[in-house]
Amino acid sequence: MKYILIVLFSLTTLIGFGQSVTAPEPKSFTMNTAGQDGSGFSLSGFNSTATLLCAIGLPTAPSGTTFYISTTTGLTAASGFTLSGNKTRLVFTGTMANINAALATLKVNTTATNGNIQISVSATVNPSGYYYNPSNGHFYRPVSTGATYSNAKLLSSQQTFKGQTGYLVTLTSADEDAFILANVPQSNIWFACTDEVTEGRWIIDAGPEAGTLIKTSNGQTAGNVQGQYNNWAPGEPNNAGNEDYPVTKWGGGTQWNDLPNSFVNPYVVEFGTWTNPDDQTFTEFVSNSVIHSNGNTLRAQFTFNFGSNIDETKFKSKIITSTDDITYNTNNNLVALNGIGRVDLTNQIDTSTISGGGYKALTTGGQVEWCVIYDYDVSNQRYRIGIDSREVNGILATPSSITSLQLFDLWNGPVTFNSYDPNGWTEVYVYTQTQFNFAGSSFASKIRQGNGFYGISAEFTFQQNMVNKYHKISMDIQQSDLLTLLGSAITVGDVYLAFKEFADRGILGDESKYFSSGIQFHNADVNEDGIFDERDCYSLLTHLQGTTSLWTNPPQLGDIMKIVSSSAYDNITKQNWNTYTGITRYRYPFTFTNGILNAYNLDVAWKGDVNLSHSSQPAGFVTSVNSISDVSQIKSMSVSTNSIGDVEADILMEKIGDSVVATIMINPNGNQIGATQFDVYFDNSILSFSSTQFTTSGGANFSRNNGSFISLGSLNTSGGSISNIGYKVIFKPKSTITNLLGLISVKSTETLNTSLNKINVKVL
Amino acid sequence: MKRILLISCFLLFLLSCRKEEILPVPPPKQEVDIFTISESEVSDGEDIMFKLTSDSTYVLKLVDKVSGQVISKEKIKGIIGVNKIKIYTKSLPAKYLYLVLEDGNKKEMNKTTIIAK
Repeated sequence: MKYILIVLFSLTTLIGFGQSVTAPEPKSFTMNTAGQDGSGFSLSGFNSTATLLCAIGLPTAPSGTTFYISTTTGLTAASGFTLSGNKTRLVFTGTMANINAALATLKVNTTATNGNIQISVSATVNPSGYYYNPSNGHFYRPVSTGATYSNAKLLSSQQTFKGQTGYLVTLTSADEDAFILANVPQSNIWFACTDEVTEGRWIIDAGPEAGTLIKTSNGQTAGNVQGQYNNWAPGEPNNAGNEDYPVTKWGGGTQWNDLPNSFVNPYVVEFGTWTNPDDQTFTEFVSNSVIHSNGNTLRAQFTFNFGSNIDETKFKSKIITSTDDITYNTNNNLVALNGIGRVDLTNQIDTSTISGGGYKALTTGGQVEWCVIYDYDVSNQRYRIGIDSREVNGILATPSSITSLQLFDLWNGPVTFNSYDPNGWTEVYVYTQTQFNFAGSSFASKIRQGNGFYGISAEFTFQQNMVNKYHKISMDIQQSDLLTLLGSAITVGDVYLAFKEFADRGILGDESKYFSSGIQFHNADVNEDGIFDERDCYSLLTHLQGTTSLWTNPPQLGDIMKIVSSSAYDNITKQNWNTYTGITRYRYPFTFTNGILNAYNLDVAWKGDVNLSHSSQPAGFVTSVNSISDVSQIKSMSVSTNSIGDVEADILMEKIGDSVVATIMINPNGNQIGATQFDVYFDNSILSFSSTQFTTSGGANFSRNNGSFISLGSLNTSGGSISNIGYKVIFKPKSTITNLLGLISVKSTETLNTSLNKINVKVL
Repeated sequence: MKRILLISCFLLFLLSCRKEEILPVPPPKQEVDIFTISESEVSDGEDIMFKLTSDSTYVLKLVDKVSGQVISKEKIKGIIGVNKIKIYTKSLPAKYLYLVLEDGNKKEMNKTTIIAK
């Protein structure tokens, strides 16, 4: 057990499990006010003793907006920054506790300009030996053990850091050059530039600027290309001895010289290809942001909760509008969701209004009692109000079209038409639980209390009710990304779980043992007839087998994506799930109110994703397919009983006759396997898929050609186990091939035991 | 004048004695035993070379460095001396790999890192 804990702890540390930045909810700041509370950000999940690099920035804000932090204990400002004073960007290092203490004191200084203020915070572990340049967001790793220029360039390109491939440093600005000078103690530092092709024509030799000409002839300033950064020492470059490669910090100074390749010099590896630090894509950075408002402004912010295993940034969205809810204007540009599934589409809101049907009656004080309000009807909780029809006749063609009323300061809201007598009264009802405050009205002089009624001296006018246009948010994703998502979202685990739930549904068919949420039924009801039954299970199975598909070809987002408001999502139960019709959609309708922040929290699920592996998991969801905990479970089982271990899959690729065969043989190693799936990748420019053979017994087999890979596997549709598991995938070469290494490759996708536990498969 | 000529000749002599700079040019991959290099980039369909000391059946495996899982495996008939095979990388689901050579008894003989391009 101790061993398992240590392993799990190590894994957690290695993969940075659970590292995150929490952001506060959006709010409105007071305009032109200093020192307003901008706190609410906090880091979590980092090793408490690790030194972290943290950046706070204002990617979007009215000009002049700044922030500051008042607690800086334990923090060290990054190169080029000071901790004190007002900032638009601040980068520093410190422990998680110190950074959180600082973030808790974040204050914002606003200006008189109305608009959005986006505050972003990002953090990562800052390993020793790596230097972060806040001006471009790149990391630099000095290498003091020298190398020739060509080796320095090669070795740099073989390094990776936080998901980025390195390159020999390029010096494209005085800032970057100064950063190297300040942070690298050695002298004569190689950087990526060369004139080896044409003497005197210096071209950047690596990184995102590779190929850029910076200088056309030798000499300190001769031929320096305008707009490009050059910093040569006096008399350099001079090609004295076939010198085709530059160093900075020449001779311990601050400028450049050219040297021959054979010199062994220190060098610097650069990581990062972007120019805006806020757009960086280092994988181990965690970040979050919030968009506050400066003053009260209309905002439309959408947050999609996709659950885990989905890359939110693959999705884009835009607002579409309509005047009739039938034909929509789709001209807005698509905007990508950020890493937490959030997008702000305020700019795409159409605030022009359309007729909402009906008329609103408006009043001003008058001399004649054109209006009567009868005493409050307690039993019906309403007022009956009469408008003298002489105020209506000839003005409103259909008096029944009065749908709202502004009556002095007594009422401003909807009314229900009651009756119309052209020679008497036009009557409406006001439904309210609160009685009118006649005595306190500022129009008291226009109100006369009678016996069972109030006479109101008012003049009436009527105006059309105007409402906002119909609005929807429309989602989009590239077809290839959608196919990848669907391929990983709907696997043998979903089908096995569906069959297992269906098989154990009880004598009356009304028991649920394996689904814990109504949305699982909704996802499993793939024919969307409101009943989860064997037809759905077999549709899932034949989809897996490739004989039918859950979606059209190519798949349309609107046929498989489900969007539900978060408040409704949690209320989808195992009893009411089939009342949620129309939620399979890629366009979500919404209404908004002018002048305030309209925030929409939406949950996303996918047709066929029965185990919710790629869907939002509602509150109280209990996964029936375990994944992380099982690792320890299975390991502990193998330790204690020595009878159950990892499932082993032996693979081999070989030429047999005129075919190429990939064989997968499974050794259950004591496990009761209920379902298993593998993906067999192949180079479809060299091989064409021919067939799949199965040795598996006790279940249904499947094999689906996805173009560049075959999904294959088996499952027991009764919830029991499968045995003799083995597969041969047969291909035909399109041309002569001598050997096969890498031509076909195998990846274990998912294997479940009969208790729905996910088990490790060791591919040998 | 004589002195100038002498100095010039001496300088020419010195210059001619300067060691000619011969840059090490990395040999083509198919001419270097891949297992003697700790890490190599390999392009799709590229030939690689390795040397064996006996004729026998061997197994070549590609192992995903991240997951530790074997993703591709092929039996080959190896010969004494130089052996050349192609590595296909286009459809591999992982790019950072070990290339492992095993003998017929599944005993690991050699291992190197390759980066599939």
